[in-house]
Amino acid sequence: MQMIRPGLGIIFFLALRGLQKHAFSSFLAILTIAMAVGLFLSTWKINDDTRLAFHHSAGGFDAVLGARGSKLQIILNSLFHLESSPGNLSWEQYEIIQNTKGVKEAYPIAVGDNYLGYRLVGTDPELLTSHQWKPGQGYEVEEGGRVFSPLAKEAVVGSLVAQKVGLQVGDQFHPYHGLNFKEENKHQDIYVVVGILEATGTPADRVIWVPIKGIQLMDGHDKSMSHSLSAVLLSLKGAAGFSLDMKYNRQGNVATLAWPVASTLSSFFDKFTWFQKILELVAGMIAVVGTLIIVLTLRSSMNERRREFAILRCLGASRQSVSTVIISQSLILACLGVMAGFFVHFLIHIFVSHIIQENTGVLMSGFSVGFMGVYVFCAVLFVGLASGILPARQVYKADLSENLKHHT
Amino acid sequence: MLSISNLKKSFQLTGEIFLPVVSIEDFVLEKKQMVAIHGTSGSGKTTFLHLIAGLLTPDEGSIQLQGVDLQELKESRRDFLRATSIGYIFQSFHLLQSCTALENLLIAMSFAGQVNVDGAKEMLDRVGLKDRMNHKPGEMSVGQQQRVALARALINKPTLLLADEPTGNLDAGNAESSLNLMKELCISSGASMLVVSHDSNVINSFDHQINWVELNQVSKGEPCK
Repeated sequence: MQMIRPGLGIIFFLALRGLQKHAFSSFLAILTIAMAVGLFLSTWKINDDTRLAFHHSAGGFDAVLGARGSKLQIILNSLFHLESSPGNLSWEQYEIIQNTKGVKEAYPIAVGDNYLGYRLVGTDPELLTSHQWKPGQGYEVEEGGRVFSPLAKEAVVGSLVAQKVGLQVGDQFHPYHGLNFKEENKHQDIYVVVGILEATGTPADRVIWVPIKGIQLMDGHDKSMSHSLSAVLLSLKGAAGFSLDMKYNRQGNVATLAWPVASTLSSFFDKFTWFQKILELVAGMIAVVGTLIIVLTLRSSMNERRREFAILRCLGASRQSVSTVIISQSLILACLGVMAGFFVHFLIHIFVSHIIQENTGVLMSGFSVGFMGVYVFCAVLFVGLASGILPARQVYKADLSENLKHHT
Repeated sequence: MLSISNLKKSFQLTGEIFLPVVSIEDFVLEKKQMVAIHGTSGSGKTTFLHLIAGLLTPDEGSIQLQGVDLQELKESRRDFLRATSIGYIFQSFHLLQSCTALENLLIAMSFAGQVNVDGAKEMLDRVGLKDRMNHKPGEMSVGQQQRVALARALINKPTLLLADEPTGNLDAGNAESSLNLMKELCISSGASMLVVSHDSNVINSFDHQINWVELNQVSKGEPCK
């Protein structure tokens, strides 16, 4: 009742009453717009956020040296701890690249074992003590823990692993052979947890860090592999990337240098562009359905409200006022739809972030609608406005006397 | 107060065939005067009221309300004049069904540019609906709906009250009390009243009576080019 005020107040009141009267079709219109907005924003934004999150989760490395094979496979295996290793490198290759001019840091890693499905990554303890995984930020071990010794059967557990399997400092565990957990592949070695890593929001959170010697000399591993490793993680200085690219990728045939990491990752995401296009198309189709529902809601509302609008005119409402009621209804539907769409986007963001973090350890950035959200908001309002124009025009041109007469 | 001269209105039937409905040479309604027009149904009385209220535009002639020629006003000014200076009671009341009695009055007030909740409540109290102001028309009796319509028509203190078969839907008892209330409220607010009806009981309750056939010069519904 407080809304009944001259000007916009009465128009808003009448528009809301009209929508209340057609609550079900109004709800359907809002729901379809929400689905379209939520799907479109999620498709667009999650793709962008995922790319960004993966680029920020490269662990502060510029390149990875791996066995001859796919650059993408080397990066996914070494930096994101996904997929299998394309093969092994010899220890000599590690020593050569470590001493190459332009190489700032070189950390060997070896993989091939897991604990309950979480990978064991063998490396040099300096990776956890000296390396900065993002500018100015090194790895930190939670209070009461420490980094493993290079020759001991000790482990530092990533925060996500600790949370999922409940490992604590002082706990012991048997590693399992292979990257996938199979109970029959249990190694006899026993590792002691000496530290839990502080969460980083990177793939480092979902692995168990052990000394590289531990992987190389694990009970049951082939003795010939005791001097081999899976990859070397590299930080480079100046133009070293170009010269190493030339040396390993164009002239050599024993190893592959996955460099630069960012463009290799981009090519990975580009492979999914078709999927994004399909989702955008689906979102577009839902948006069309939403628009049609708005138009139908307004038209059915208008047909039933001819008499009401005629009465309002008798009470002194101008043609502009009654047609503005119709426009307001479509704008309210669009506005509520886009708001609900942001909420749908928020839910999808939470769901997808959870899935990505569970499977890769990569933490997505916080929820935001960004500038695309503003564009979508304006676009939906425009569509709402446009879909209200035709019914509003009919109300504007309606024969007042006739509409009163038909219902008396 | 209301002055009409050479008023003509016809409706197009087909092509160039028009049906003349209203043709009034001269009509005057004085301030505070109450006049009843008597005529058969379908003879153009409602059209006449619609023309006075500015809901229809005449083909010819002038309608002056308080010295203002309605035809010279822009449509938006005419709408505002209707909201502020003319109260209209319809045979079927034309209440907004989705709104309560109080909201019906407040909506009428909002188009006149001033909403006064206390004033609306007081008006509903005056027509005996103090306890029904938050009820919707569908929850009221026909007599109560008629009183809401009356309250709504007078809430903006109009100078002219138009009533089209105001008791057409009421039984004899309700019709009489409703007419008395209408007159009483018009007298107290100083409004003029123009009632059209085919009901002789209604007509006979007014001092000033006009026969529609004598007022309207249209020959019985013959189409013309």
